Amino acid sequence: VANVHVGRLVELDVPDAARVPEMCEKLLANPLIEDYEIVA
Amino acid sequence: MKFGVVRFPGSCDDVDALLAASRVGEAELLWHADRDLRGADAVIVPGGFSYGDYLRAGAIARLSPVMEEVERFGRHGGLVLGICNGFQVLCEAGLLSGALLPNTSLRFTCRQVELEVVNASTAWTGACAVGDRLSIPAKHTTGRYWAPDPVLDELEANNQVVLRYAAGENFNGSARDIAGVCNAAGNVVGLMPHPEHAVDPLTGSADGLQLFLSAARVPVG
Repeated sequence: VANVHVGRLVELDVPDAARVPEMCEKLLANPLIEDYEIVA
Repeated sequence: MKFGVVRFPGSCDDVDALLAASRVGEAELLWHADRDLRGADAVIVPGGFSYGDYLRAGAIARLSPVMEEVERFGRHGGLVLGICNGFQVLCEAGLLSGALLPNTSLRFTCRQVELEVVNASTAWTGACAVGDRLSIPAKHTTGRYWAPDPVLDELEANNQVVLRYAAGENFNGSARDIAGVCNAAGNVVGLMPHPEHAVDPLTGSADGLQLFLSAARVPVG
């Protein structure tokens, strides 16, 4: 087995998607130790 | 010296921290939903859990009303000690550098560890001498201290590494054997092992009391 990845999926309904990067930086991810990707 | 001990939903070492602090001063619990530090001269963010830690250890707690005040308090020179989950909360809040990752074993581990005092001039280690060994318990799954190398270099250059695991004791895989760090001013300290569980020889060691005695010695006001 190679390239196994376990991650966290956070699903959000938001009225303004422009705020999502800020949400990721401040709470949903810890940028020091976690990468994140936003999928609309 | 009056200690305030934060209680989050899920805290489980708050009472031991309260009892440990009571040995050297006054101590009172601080409720997570209050913004009132009740006149505390020193705040302890205890171990256990907080809000379930579902998102990431300490991530929700750092946004609690009481932590807004603790953050302000710490940034203005107030004495703050974060133990275990409390250390994770202080890192998430940015009061301390770095982060805590899962132990390299990926398992919860509970054991007595030997620590070496690296910096004896912080508010929480002033009663120790550099090189002192403290025997105190550690119990966690997410306790591997990590920061990027340049940050670790800076911490070491500024004498912000407060405690290290002694040789052969770094069971969680922490970077550079770091068990505890402080902020630049030395008033905010965080560590993974639990000094509040080592305050009476009856339970194996009273070495942890040194941290509480250190804070109690700091002039109030």
